Amino acid sequence: MTATDVVERIKKNLGIPWNEQTTRDTFKAGSPDTEVKGIATTFMATLDMIQRAHAAGLNMVITHEPTFWNDQDKVQDLAADPIYKFKVEFCTKNNMVVWRFHDNIHARRPDLIWVGLVRALGWTDRAAGPNQRSFTLPPTTLGALAADVTKQLGSRALRVVGNPDARVSTVALAMGYGMPRVSPDIDVVMGGENPETGGPFDDSEYVLDAAALGKNKGQIILGHAISEEPGMEDCANWLRTFITETPIQFVRAGEPFWSPKAGSR
Amino acid sequence: MLAQRSLTAQQVVDPIRKNAGVPWQPLSLDTFKAGDPATPVTGIATTGMATMDVLTRASKDKTNLVVTLEPTFFGRLDAQPDPVAGAGRGVGRGQASVSADDPVYAAKREFIRRNELVVWRFTDHWRGRKPDPFATGLAGVLGWTKYQVGDDVFRYDVPAVTLTTLADELAKRLKARAGIRVIGDPQTRVRRIALLPGVSTLAAAMKSLPECDVLLAGETREWESVEYAQDTVASGQKKGMIMLGRVVSEEPGMNVCTGWLKALVPEVPVRWMAAGDPYWGPA
Repeated sequence: MTATDVVERIKKNLGIPWNEQTTRDTFKAGSPDTEVKGIATTFMATLDMIQRAHAAGLNMVITHEPTFWNDQDKVQDLAADPIYKFKVEFCTKNNMVVWRFHDNIHARRPDLIWVGLVRALGWTDRAAGPNQRSFTLPPTTLGALAADVTKQLGSRALRVVGNPDARVSTVALAMGYGMPRVSPDIDVVMGGENPETGGPFDDSEYVLDAAALGKNKGQIILGHAISEEPGMEDCANWLRTFITETPIQFVRAGEPFWSPKAGSR
Repeated sequence: MLAQRSLTAQQVVDPIRKNAGVPWQPLSLDTFKAGDPATPVTGIATTGMATMDVLTRASKDKTNLVVTLEPTFFGRLDAQPDPVAGAGRGVGRGQASVSADDPVYAAKREFIRRNELVVWRFTDHWRGRKPDPFATGLAGVLGWTKYQVGDDVFRYDVPAVTLTTLADELAKRLKARAGIRVIGDPQTRVRRIALLPGVSTLAAAMKSLPECDVLLAGETREWESVEYAQDTVASGQKKGMIMLGRVVSEEPGMNVCTGWLKALVPEVPVRWMAAGDPYWGPA
């Protein structure tokens, strides 16, 4: 089957009408007519990830986030950039196709990116209610919670605000470029990526000050990749239920960062 | 000896406005955020962010005017009306700032009132100064001023060092914790460094990384400069990027502000009071 056939099959099985307005969920590299030898789902089609997909014999990458370093994957200003040329040439030479699956995977119910994050955390049965984005956990400390989340998600560079000894139980969760807003009934806000300061409401400074005032509040910043990559494994599993002609694998882009040892904890 | 009549907070701000080096904008964020401008100033603390911790230290230190780069009340507008009515800057337009009856907001305001502190924000104009105080400040704290490349305050050629050693050194010098995050092979040797303090764009990364070995950035987006740096490394180039965090990367710029204020208002003691890295990492 061709890459276009794969996309048509996804549209048919999405469960909701395909959002035709999206400029995100389109082909980013390679020809849609390419014969697909295998599909690799991933958080982000980084060059490294594309190279590994190619090495695994998978020539269609289904990526959640951009390929060319901007949300719209606009490439007009990139033509002269050596890294852009390198990435495009690698795709061309190796017959790789990259297609983005962002808006529509979030829009379908359930949102597979959300399902993946909650599954990876081990919190599937802990939602405060149906379609709730908050969770009630057995009472623990912020330090123990952060250590558990690190282990569950395999992070090397998770960031936390608040007193590690604070007793916490309720968590509001967001993914990707999102952070829940602190509220009185929530102990810990946890999200993917967010501006550190200067937004309409800055959770980090609020939690820092709440902790200084002795309140049991915490913030855990997972990172964009760490928060959304698990869902692309769920995406691979879902694709296998209606695409049987070609191998489908989840290929991690991986957490982009590591933390220096000297950074005192 | 004649007792010297102390300046009020307003009398400190007036010369700042006159000497900022850029024309004073009537509708900026650089205004009093808490406290009475008529308060006699016992000392000035400059900081990256007027957190409760900074305010507590300032109060203990008999330093009652806090000059802060970033907000005090958990958002761009510091719970004040937008200076430019109807002209939100796009980011989060329409989203509410902290509410007046929020307990943390109320407690912070009360702490400031009870300790007769005054908080004044200095961001829009300080950011306009030349040479860029955030670049010179960061280089200064890192001991790199002597390594500056020509007249470019954003470029430094340091003795070659591995990425991992550099990251450790930065963590130590900037007293940073989990806020420091690194992209690239830890053993890559780097020498040519570009500073991108604060928030920086993909365009800035695309301009700087090809010309040097490592970007020292404050905050960038994971699907922009971060992916660009990852791809640069994956293409075989011996390069990297280190993210310091917004406040950690910009705070040394307020150390520069301390020096500037000492010359501007010599009658008042001025000190730099770093807010520090807000982030820690789990064990």
